[in-house]
Amino acid sequence: MSNALELRGISKSFPGVRANDNVDLEVRRGDIHAIVGENGAGKTTLMSILYGLTAPDSGEIVVDGRTVRFNSALDAIAAGLGMVHQAFKLFPTLTVAENVVFRNEPRTGIFLDRAEAAKRVRALGSEYGLMVDPGARIEDLPVGVLQRVEILKALYRDAQVLILDEPTAVLTPQERDNLFVTLRRLKDRGRTVIFITHKLGEVMAVSDRVTVLRGGRAVAHLDTASTSPTEVSRLMTGRNVDLDSRPPPSLLGEAVLSVTDLTVRDDDGLVRVDAVSLEVRSGEILGVAAVAGNGQHELIEAICGLRPADRGSIVVGGREVAAADMAVTRESGLAYIPEDRHRVGTAAGGEVWANLVMGFQRRKRFRRGRFMRRAEVEEHARRIIADYDVRVAGPAVTAATLSGGNLQKLVVGREMSHAAPLLVAEEPTRGVDVGAIEFLHRQLVEYRSQGGGILLLSAELWELLALSSRVVVMYEGRIVAELDPAETDEAELGFFMTGGSR
Amino acid sequence: MMSQSSFDRLSVALSIVAALLIGAAVIALSGTNPLLAYGEMVEGALTGSGLRNTTARMIPIVGMGLALSIPFRAGVINLGGEGQMVLGGLAGTLCAIYLPGPPALVMAASIVAGAVAGAFWAFLAAAGQIWLKLPILISSLLLAYPARAITSYLVRFPFADPTVTSSSTVPVPDANRIPKLPLFGGVSASLVLLAFFLVAIAIFNQRTVAGYETRMTGLNSRFSRYGGVGVDRQVVWVMLASGAIAGVIGTHLVVGETYRFLDGDLVASGFAWTGLLVTLLASHRPLPLLAAGAFFSALQIGGLAMQRNVNVPWQIALVVQAVVIVVLAGRFVLSRRQRAQPEEIPMAEGELTVTGEV
Amino acid sequence: MFDQLFDGALLESVFRALIPILLAAIGGLVCERAGVFQISLEGMMLVGAFAAVAGSYLGQSALLGVTIAMAVTALFSLILGYGAVTRRGDPIVLGVAVNLLALGLTSFLLPQLFGVRGVFQHPRIDGLDRLAIPFLSDLPLIGQALFNLTIPGYLSLLAIPLIWLFLFRTPIGLRLRGVGERPASAETLGVSSTQYKYAAVVFSGLACGLAGAQLALGNVVQFAENMSSGRGWIAVVAVMLGRAHPAGVLGASALFGFAEGLGFRLQGNGLPVQITEALPYVVTLIALALARKRFQRILELTAA
Repeated sequence: MSNALELRGISKSFPGVRANDNVDLEVRRGDIHAIVGENGAGKTTLMSILYGLTAPDSGEIVVDGRTVRFNSALDAIAAGLGMVHQAFKLFPTLTVAENVVFRNEPRTGIFLDRAEAAKRVRALGSEYGLMVDPGARIEDLPVGVLQRVEILKALYRDAQVLILDEPTAVLTPQERDNLFVTLRRLKDRGRTVIFITHKLGEVMAVSDRVTVLRGGRAVAHLDTASTSPTEVSRLMTGRNVDLDSRPPPSLLGEAVLSVTDLTVRDDDGLVRVDAVSLEVRSGEILGVAAVAGNGQHELIEAICGLRPADRGSIVVGGREVAAADMAVTRESGLAYIPEDRHRVGTAAGGEVWANLVMGFQRRKRFRRGRFMRRAEVEEHARRIIADYDVRVAGPAVTAATLSGGNLQKLVVGREMSHAAPLLVAEEPTRGVDVGAIEFLHRQLVEYRSQGGGILLLSAELWELLALSSRVVVMYEGRIVAELDPAETDEAELGFFMTGGSR
Repeated sequence: MMSQSSFDRLSVALSIVAALLIGAAVIALSGTNPLLAYGEMVEGALTGSGLRNTTARMIPIVGMGLALSIPFRAGVINLGGEGQMVLGGLAGTLCAIYLPGPPALVMAASIVAGAVAGAFWAFLAAAGQIWLKLPILISSLLLAYPARAITSYLVRFPFADPTVTSSSTVPVPDANRIPKLPLFGGVSASLVLLAFFLVAIAIFNQRTVAGYETRMTGLNSRFSRYGGVGVDRQVVWVMLASGAIAGVIGTHLVVGETYRFLDGDLVASGFAWTGLLVTLLASHRPLPLLAAGAFFSALQIGGLAMQRNVNVPWQIALVVQAVVIVVLAGRFVLSRRQRAQPEEIPMAEGELTVTGEV
Repeated sequence: MFDQLFDGALLESVFRALIPILLAAIGGLVCERAGVFQISLEGMMLVGAFAAVAGSYLGQSALLGVTIAMAVTALFSLILGYGAVTRRGDPIVLGVAVNLLALGLTSFLLPQLFGVRGVFQHPRIDGLDRLAIPFLSDLPLIGQALFNLTIPGYLSLLAIPLIWLFLFRTPIGLRLRGVGERPASAETLGVSSTQYKYAAVVFSGLACGLAGAQLALGNVVQFAENMSSGRGWIAVVAVMLGRAHPAGVLGASALFGFAEGLGFRLQGNGLPVQITEALPYVVTLIALALARKRFQRILELTAA
């Protein structure tokens, strides 16, 4: 069998990171080829190189035996590649058919042939089991359907090799099963599928071959049939995952957060959090596990005072804050590491000190009457910079110059230095390197041991399991399970997260 | 940090040079020797009564610049300075004309009245954004037209001076006029007021907690809200402050300059818009704002001299002013907020994908 | 009193007021669809009016005036195009500065070129003729208002269905909408957002040139300093209020045209001109307040 695609010696560095280090990859025609690795292993960089979005520093790409150079995604499309990005590249107000045929439109005269476009979408859909209403508007469709549209887009452009980046991250179990059916059907029709994931179960379920990335290098190429989840997992992490290294429990104190019967709606008035009750006590980390878009973000926003509660009560540090804004919740003893450090957690145009004093600015320590005590503020900034190893020349530097990982350390350091009774941590380690992850984990555990209560949200289930004292699972706005991390695993979490019940 | 601001300074200097060159080209194309015209401008702005006129003109230009810099710095775009200035001006004028009492008190009352009227009009725009989700950019601008209409009506009918043909109020009584300072042969004492605003705003921006908070809101309002800042309240009071100063400037223009509220007079010179350009040029910082205001004032006064002496219309000054900002904005050094766009941040692994967006 | 107000003549003055706003708004609508925040309609309209009068005066032909207005305004629009699209400058700062540049430039050139201040009127300026369509223009009530218009007038009304067809029924229109909504996604499919945005900006220049010509050679035959007097801003609002849909924008423009026409008529009935002139702006504000929630995009743009 010939190779549909080969990568030879691909290397790519970003400032401070060697994202891909001499990666080789051979994908056989008609295979479903999984590429696995932890976050930060270099998967995404490799895929954007493959799809012409990033130029490699060195190495070559071979499609159908011919060496190619991609200057843009367009070249990759022309070479027969199709990419389904994790963040879909669709136009929300356009219809399915319009999205699919965009730039390769069928015409009658100068006009768009809408009937033909719809017909082509329907035909492709029935061939591959990707049924979608061609006239529906993208913004009205659920995520699982959007993914089908993305696949149709690639097929419409006659992609022989489909690349899917973490395709199941946003899917319900039903949708995921449908996706797998589609992938097999694509394989049966002779198309090649590259499937990027960090979920072992999926690798075993659907792939023919597996390439494992670790630290930017391809550490193994395996036949799925002759390997095991344990082996792949060992190769991915470079160690035996040892959940027993969990920190010893610490003394539980009083509740620092009590949520009772909380209902929250989103901007469109849909109920996103549905009668949720939970409690975080001092000295514990409560993990929240959920597939993206199941109300966990709205729950956090409501607790912090960034989104009004529809019904129910939120008590932070003994004070009812369901109707309060962030100023009040902060006063009541809440610190918050937000998911989006660029849009919410920092002001890129401000200095490092200005970013580090936010949330503290009204504290007695930092002001004299209405005036700011700049010396104190800068001292505070220097302390956080030192304690959290933020790599920056000094407090007066503009935050925009910090790398993503450093910015994250800045945000985490700022919020932890509040020493608030309740810390809400949303994806605290996203986008930081492995060393920093360990450091931040130690900090979180230390915070808890000193009597803080932490509400932890993470898409990384192993992180939740490694840190949490208890884990609750949210599904469609409700809490569907509460589990003891010592007695559960990712598979069981995943089961509940995708709507499973016992 | 240093290199960043010296880069800014360089860009500002370059954009001014570019604007003057473009202005020269326009003058040349319309048939006059630009060197001659610019020579007249410099002389007219800085010699003889020019210096006094330039200084006098700085009061409304720098004043409106300061007024608009307050909301701009907090990310609120007040394009309605004109309406706030005109209404404030009329309120102040009417007080100065009709209020009985000792002149000092009447003067103070008329300034306060101007501030209140301007602040009220600005408040309408702020309220519109907060409660009706109507962008201040649009509402403040549209509100300027009814403001002009109201003053125009009042000046033409209820408060018209029947003894003159132009539509205007009666003159402010001599005693109630803001006096002149013995500076360059008589600049309005409102200059003191301007200095007070300037210093107060500089201290507020640099030293106070609220000044810090407004700057952060201007850089990223979500960040501010997240940090516990009451952003809505902030929008209201930056607009109140802005409108109040605009109203005081309007009052000055009559009670301290022309002494009659003449219909259309206050808007004709476009001080609100020049002030807007000045604060943009100065990135909303008070001291650079003073310099930019002095420059634009000199440009306008020099332009008027040029018009008298070589018959080149003074509006070339308006052209140069606008071109400075166009060039600066086009060079991409001038932004209401120096926000790094997420897609421009060098992407490291794990940052390429953003989930949650369709 | 009402039957005195609502008659064919009122409808005529409504259309008179409506057409320049509609033309400018059509330009704004295409920009909005292409994702260009276009608030320099006011200035471009003014430049168009000036160029139209200058062209008509120099060539003694109204059509030449219209052509020159469109060409000059299209050139002028490139300032915003270059600044906002190529240099990615702040569209609000640029838009405001371009408006002021237009005001400065026209009030400088007026005395410099024609030796007059404030208003330029001259018998050599050839005004746009109204072309009556036989039979239709004799219809009661709407005949004169709808079927006895200038060329820009007919174009403005024709443009509405044409723009609709273009946007929603042609491949290029589809791509333009895609570019406006998600430029990055369009780029990955090989559609250059820069090209489309430039095209949209230049189109808005052409439309505003036409709007200015109608204002200065159709509605009146003269140029007056700052004669656009806020109409371009009303066009900006009409685009938002009409949600950048041709029919919506027509409706919104008609509302403002009606307010202005009515104001004009009420003037005749004794209300002071100062009050009636403010009517379109007040109506605009009320319409905006009632519309609510339509300004997410601009709120996001302005609120950092």
